[in-house]
Amino acid sequence: MKRTNDLLVGTIVLLVILTLTGATFWAKQTDIGDRRSKVVARFRDVGNARVGNAVVIRGVRAGTIEAIELSRGGWVHVRMNLDRSMQLPGAPVVLLNESSLFGEWQATITPRSALPHDETVQAQVAESSGGGDVLPGATLPDIAKLTAVAGQIAGDVANVAERVEVAFDERAARELRSSIKNFADLSTTLSHTVRAHAGDLDTVSRGLQSAVASLNRTASSAELMASRLDSSSASGQVRQIVDDMSHAAAELRRATAQVRVMSEQLSRTQNRLDSFLSNGDSVLVKLNTGQGSLGLLLNDPSLYRNGDSLLTQLRGLVTEVRTNPKKFVSVRIF
Amino acid sequence: MTNVSTLLPDAALGAARRLPSARALSTLGRVTRHGIESVGGGARFAARTLGAVRDVRTWGPSATLHMRRVGVDSLPIGIFIAVFTGIVLALLASYSFTGAVPLYFVGTLVEKTITMELAPVLTGLALAGRVGANIAAELGTMRVTEQIDALETLGYDPHSYLVVPRVLAGTVMFPVVVGAAMIAGVASGWFASIGLLDISSADFVKGLRLFFSGFDVRYGLVKAGSFGFIVTLIGSIRGLRAGGGAEGVGRAATSAVVYSAVLILVLDAFWAVTWLLGSRP
Repeated sequence: MKRTNDLLVGTIVLLVILTLTGATFWAKQTDIGDRRSKVVARFRDVGNARVGNAVVIRGVRAGTIEAIELSRGGWVHVRMNLDRSMQLPGAPVVLLNESSLFGEWQATITPRSALPHDETVQAQVAESSGGGDVLPGATLPDIAKLTAVAGQIAGDVANVAERVEVAFDERAARELRSSIKNFADLSTTLSHTVRAHAGDLDTVSRGLQSAVASLNRTASSAELMASRLDSSSASGQVRQIVDDMSHAAAELRRATAQVRVMSEQLSRTQNRLDSFLSNGDSVLVKLNTGQGSLGLLLNDPSLYRNGDSLLTQLRGLVTEVRTNPKKFVSVRIF
Repeated sequence: MTNVSTLLPDAALGAARRLPSARALSTLGRVTRHGIESVGGGARFAARTLGAVRDVRTWGPSATLHMRRVGVDSLPIGIFIAVFTGIVLALLASYSFTGAVPLYFVGTLVEKTITMELAPVLTGLALAGRVGANIAAELGTMRVTEQIDALETLGYDPHSYLVVPRVLAGTVMFPVVVGAAMIAGVASGWFASIGLLDISSADFVKGLRLFFSGFDVRYGLVKAGSFGFIVTLIGSIRGLRAGGGAEGVGRAATSAVVYSAVLILVLDAFWAVTWLLGSRP
């Protein structure tokens, strides 16, 4: 019985210890028998990376962080276990970064050419390079840092908004509104001007085209005239033509003088007519507005009615004088 | 030391004892004295037990017998509790994490909770009922039937012969039972996650490994050892102090279970404060 107890207890204890140890090694992914390759990278700061965090190559889990230890020169060395089958990329660089929003970190081994275009990261990698077998490393900011920066930016924006709110009061808004309206008016005017000048330009262009056509025609005529001159210079017809032209020019001068005299007379007549029309217009305005006797006569109906009544009474008086003159005329001698 | 009662007349003491406030104060003083006496008696008992460990010839032959009774025979109940705890924990975690937290954290929660808390405490409480009551009843019966007096008459030290093998068995075998419970609890949580929840095995393992540390297992096992020590010690104390026949034995068994359960929870808090806080990353 005693031996049975000993055997049973020993077996159970051994079994539990072995199982528990094996499970612990399995859960910790302990490298029993040194079957994994080792890689060491150096960093200035490892953030929240911890022993046991995953090592990832091209998104595939390739091992774990085995140790994190302080080193000389202010460096932190991170030793990683990698599966033997894993091949490091060319010019490898180790980035420590968060793998989720829940505080998990991982070490990502990536080629230097695939580094993010961030000055801080590039500077960290450049600084940690040149360590021999030790890979260069950089630590990406965690969510807390990014949130802090975002919070700072939000605070700055709030400050700017507050300042704008202070500077941009009701008066400034009114002035801005007025400026916009003026600008709109100016724009409309400019538009009209441009449209008008476009018409002028069209006109000028058409005039130029016409002038060019006239020049062409003139050149043709000159050419024709030159050919005729060549043909007529030998028979004295040119002399006759010049004389005729001189006579015609004298006649034209006289006619021009007469036209100028007539034009001056016409101008004077026009001035008189203008004066007459303006005076007539003034009289008519006075008549229409009831100014003066004639205006009152024209515009006041009571005057007409009084006048008419007076004529009627005068007519009655004349009739009565005719019928009974003695009533009104008394001639006494002595 | 001068007794106060000798300085006061008997009449004055009698009158003072009859006052209600004086009676309350007397009760408080009596309870305090009993508490201090219990702690002192327990400490003396523990010191005597530790001193008796040197007497290997006495306790050695029966050590494995008690280890089998305390540990091996308790494995089924420990594993049974852990299996169902693991299943319920996985389901609860999945229920709580839905939509907000990635489901692979079920593995993390099951591993951390089972290894660090539930396996040691639940197994300890279960074994407090089974082992503590058993020891108290066994030793109490020996006390009321004067078998212990007979042992002392024969020259055996009851601590070496009766207490040390039980306390050692509890201290050694509780971690073994709890270790088995850890494995069973995590495994059952794993299988429950695969079978009952929409979690793949790889996800559960990822979560389990994510924050796993050897400290988790060490912490749970050390707690289990301390629970084993206290449960067997309390059972031995209550058993050896039993009196008054079968009723006294029953009271000893009951009080052993109650004191063991309370002290398990007190020790759990003690370890959390002293060790967990100190090793916070």
